[in-house]
Amino acid sequence: MSARVTRRGFVAIGVGAGVAAGVGVPLVLTGTGATSTGESAKSASRPVPLFARAMHVPPVLAPSRMDASTDYYEISQEVALAEILEGPKTEIWGYNGMFPGPTIESRRGRRSVVTHTNNLPVPTVVHLHGGHTPAESDGYPLDLVFPIDRSYMNMHARTSAHDGSSADHLVAGDTSEGSRSYTYPLEQRAAQLWYHDHRMDFTGPSVWRGLAGFHIVRDEEEDALQLPSGDHELPLMITDRAFDSNNQLTYPSVDPSLLGTPGVRAEYVGGVLGDVMLVNGTAWPFLDVDRASYRLRILNACNARRLDIRLDPPDADLTQIGSDGGLLATPIRHQHFELASAQRVDLIVDFSKYKPGTRVTLVNAYGDGDMGKILQFRVGERSQPAYEIPDRLSSISPLVPANREPDRTMRFLAGNVNGSHGWVVNGLPFSPHTVSAAVSRGTVEVWRLISDFYHPVHLHLNPFQVISRGGGPPGVFDAGWKDTIDLRPYEEATIATRFDGSPGKYVFHCHNLEHEDMAMMANFTIS
Amino acid sequence: MSTPDRPGANQAVAPDSPDRPSRRWPRWALRITSTAAAVLLFDQAIFAGSFLSGSYGALLTHEDNARFAAIATLLTLVSSILVAGVGKGPRWPIVAASGLFVLVGLQIVLGYTGMVALHVPVGVATIVVAVVTTVWTWRRV
Repeated sequence: MSARVTRRGFVAIGVGAGVAAGVGVPLVLTGTGATSTGESAKSASRPVPLFARAMHVPPVLAPSRMDASTDYYEISQEVALAEILEGPKTEIWGYNGMFPGPTIESRRGRRSVVTHTNNLPVPTVVHLHGGHTPAESDGYPLDLVFPIDRSYMNMHARTSAHDGSSADHLVAGDTSEGSRSYTYPLEQRAAQLWYHDHRMDFTGPSVWRGLAGFHIVRDEEEDALQLPSGDHELPLMITDRAFDSNNQLTYPSVDPSLLGTPGVRAEYVGGVLGDVMLVNGTAWPFLDVDRASYRLRILNACNARRLDIRLDPPDADLTQIGSDGGLLATPIRHQHFELASAQRVDLIVDFSKYKPGTRVTLVNAYGDGDMGKILQFRVGERSQPAYEIPDRLSSISPLVPANREPDRTMRFLAGNVNGSHGWVVNGLPFSPHTVSAAVSRGTVEVWRLISDFYHPVHLHLNPFQVISRGGGPPGVFDAGWKDTIDLRPYEEATIATRFDGSPGKYVFHCHNLEHEDMAMMANFTIS
Repeated sequence: MSTPDRPGANQAVAPDSPDRPSRRWPRWALRITSTAAAVLLFDQAIFAGSFLSGSYGALLTHEDNARFAAIATLLTLVSSILVAGVGKGPRWPIVAASGLFVLVGLQIVLGYTGMVALHVPVGVATIVVAVVTTVWTWRRV
């Protein structure tokens, strides 16, 4: 009898353990969810020492020529070697051979004409992110600039396309041979814009290889605030990358030639994350700072990674003075700031809050292990009075009343793209021939955006205001003019945009670059 | 066939007819397959919760695990038929396992076609049926 009980007990324990493991293991492995949609590529490089090398600020590009209304710039897109890690140099694709590319500084209303020459093996497209740019210079994804040297392209014939129309759509864009001059009127508020590659199907791997740079617009309104400048104004481009054992960038392309089948291997369809954090092209750098106020102009240029930025120790506030589209109306004090791909935040940080010799880490609370760290500030002896942040920075009037009904709904969801896992807008993969919104010039529209995963949704041409998020008011990181909104999983938000600008066809898309390359992009037209 | 080479089997099946003895093992097969199906189906809710919070990998796992759950449900149905047949046991497990198999098939269709408004409630119903069936297989078979 007792043997029977023991056997029954055994069975009960066995079954109970099986059920507990069958439920518990998945719960522990996946139950915490995710702070970014994407999969981390694993570097094979030697462990990278943290905060061992100094950060640099990208040089400001001098115009090659100026006239009464216009600054002219020349940029060569080329393969180059960069010192990202210690040891062997890394081959990059860089604007003027640099990663990040040179910074362009412009005055509001003063035209920039940037002539890009393609010395890379593949076609390119340059988009000025946040620029109020006419369609012909906005870098439509099919307006390719072909390389000067086509030998690599001729070796690899293109085999497929999202819309299944084979290679013929390649000629649908306004293409150029070797070089192209992009004209930027820059009739817009002072803001931190950035330029990057935007070729259809291959934006992710091109930006990953280094095709990104700052373009800063300044104006009198901003000048009047006498914000920290010179060495105390720091543009920070944050990117995560992965490397092989020889310090070369690795990226899980389906077709590494970047001329055939677009997209990444199945496990990376959610997005490609790196496991090495770079600031302005240096892995985990340090920077010596004075005990003074600094203006940190941070860009999340990661393909897919979301950041939650904090200071450790947190003695100084992160005081936000601006967003994607320039100055806020009033400053906002934060203890941390969430930043999705392509978003910018303009912060004032007062390092005089720290004792000389303090090491202050800019951390990423959304990162595990070393990816939780970004940059180390080493606070020096030299002290300057803190910058007094004005109560009013600018004026921003609401475009629409908060209760206005949406004019359109755009759903950003996982979906089928040519029989594979991909990403769609309102059920459709990107096609240059489909127009999702035809808008009359000058109209203000409210769009309802709906997501399934994290989707940083970006509209070209005009900034927008976030009207609501999750049925409630905008979030604490949504203030001011945005050009990219951090949509979270299964979230609904509404945004208001005034569709100003030159008539033509423009894109809006998810700025998780893998989602964008796997077809989460659509067109709007202005007529 | 005769049973002398299986010591103990005689006692276990003694109450039934000595000519065609009922078997115990189908009952164990039913309990184990049904339990496995219930666990895999509950895991679907875990993976769903994970991808609802932003993990794309969990969506792929949810898709893969749907196949394993469907296989486990099919094996539960086979076991339930064996229980009623060679096991000479009750027939209700066939009804329950058939119902579960239909629900899982429906769920796969609803999931792949993106009909989330139905997918979620039918999913809850599927898990309820799987768990109740499993508890019964341990107590009433």
